[in-house]
Amino acid sequence: MSEHTVATVGELNDGDRKLVEVEGREIALFRTDGEFRAYTNWCIHQGGPACEGSVTGTSDAEFDREELETELQWCKEGEVLNCPWHGWEYDIPTGECLSKEGAKLPAHPVRVEDEEVVVSL
Amino acid sequence: MSQRAAHALAETTVVDTDVHITVPEETIATYLEEPYRSSITDSPHPMFPSSSWDQRMGGKIDDYFSTFTGPEDVREFQADFEIEYPIINTFEPLGKFSQPDLAMSLMRAYNDLLLDKFLDDYDFLGLAAVATQRPREAAEEIERIGDNDQIVGLYLGTSGEYPPLGDPSNDPIYRAAEDHDLPIVFHGNGEEFMFDFPLHNKGFNNYFEVQSLGHPWQQMATMASVIGEGVPAKFPDLNFVFLEAGIGWVPYMMHRMNKIYRMRRSEVPLLEQSPEEYIRDQFYIGSQPLGEPNRSEDMKRIIETLGADMLMFATDYPHWDFDHLEELDKYLQHYFTETERQQILYETPAEAFGLSI
Ligand code: FES
Repeated sequence: MSEHTVATVGELNDGDRKLVEVEGREIALFRTDGEFRAYTNWCIHQGGPACEGSVTGTSDAEFDREELETELQWCKEGEVLNCPWHGWEYDIPTGECLSKEGAKLPAHPVRVEDEEVVVSL
Repeated sequence: MSQRAAHALAETTVVDTDVHITVPEETIATYLEEPYRSSITDSPHPMFPSSSWDQRMGGKIDDYFSTFTGPEDVREFQADFEIEYPIINTFEPLGKFSQPDLAMSLMRAYNDLLLDKFLDDYDFLGLAAVATQRPREAAEEIERIGDNDQIVGLYLGTSGEYPPLGDPSNDPIYRAAEDHDLPIVFHGNGEEFMFDFPLHNKGFNNYFEVQSLGHPWQQMATMASVIGEGVPAKFPDLNFVFLEAGIGWVPYMMHRMNKIYRMRRSEVPLLEQSPEEYIRDQFYIGSQPLGEPNRSEDMKRIIETLGADMLMFATDYPHWDFDHLEELDKYLQHYFTETERQQILYETPAEAFGLSI
């Protein structure tokens, strides 16, 4: 496993991301809720640049069988990454794909050391 | 009846999920209240809209269905076709009636006729008619007849029903169906194609084109609507049956809806799993009219894709495009195990309709 400093802590505010190339691979560093996460920029659908997509929330629904009413809620604002090719959704905090059960963005361990963000590949 | 085939028939219990009884207009009139009764018998204006396509191919084949009207006709069909359990329905697609009150009256009249002429004095299994023009009234009708043991499902046409059948306005129907443990049975047809796709019906120059598309378009529209509105997620104990469009369209829709779901998941957040999973869990498909590939292995693959726990046999008797059991059984006997064959002919419909047979 190799370690790479990809950013300084101060470089990214909450909600920011940075794309870097490490060992010929495109890696995206995200900062959400103060935490750093790193994923390979490769969508498990058809290999699109998932990490370059828009960051939004998504919708959730609840059905009340008694009233026969469906309530839509907007949730996870700022935590949902949308692949720019076909819109598959990924949960940034976990890397889990919301569009296909069991699928994930390839993730890499990240740690902060002396104000530097270090990614292991 | 003269359709007895010369080949050896399956020696197994067979459930036929789609047998239509023909109800002459004068007969249904006797089950209707006024003013509708005399609108049928006395009015010079026909009350039953029709697309006017000739289903007898210009007289080249006999019309079996207009005389298939009574319980004895069903008995004779059972003997000739060796069908132990025909599940009968009153056929008429009620979505084509633009007067809601008439549609509701016809729904109750067909159900009264079904009980009176076929179920009360015989051991037949039947599907109750449901018209969707007033969903709460339809739910009341399900309450009225839903506890009868011989009623094993609810029959909904898929031509002319508006809005599309997954629309939340229809939820009272689905809730009542689930409460009574009755599957929803969607049935497409060619004659009323004009109510869903009026311009196409008018634009096509022959019935070949209309019959090729009518049923599958209606059933595809219904499946997309029901999945897209999350109906199986809202009513997880409800089964859905699709009749009279064959089976080849199902893998296509299943795979296509998976693809679109993954692109548009946030648009349909009621769905907690892929369309294919809902279809495999809660949907059942009648075989008729089975497509006729030139290479029989192609049909084998389609049957395998659906699986023996989704596919059920249906004749559609007495309509002109009915399938004899042989049509499906030649594939089952050739390519599938006896266990799978029994599943398709008997166990899967027993599960779909909750039959204790
Ligand atoms: S490649 Fe990412 S959604 Fe298709």
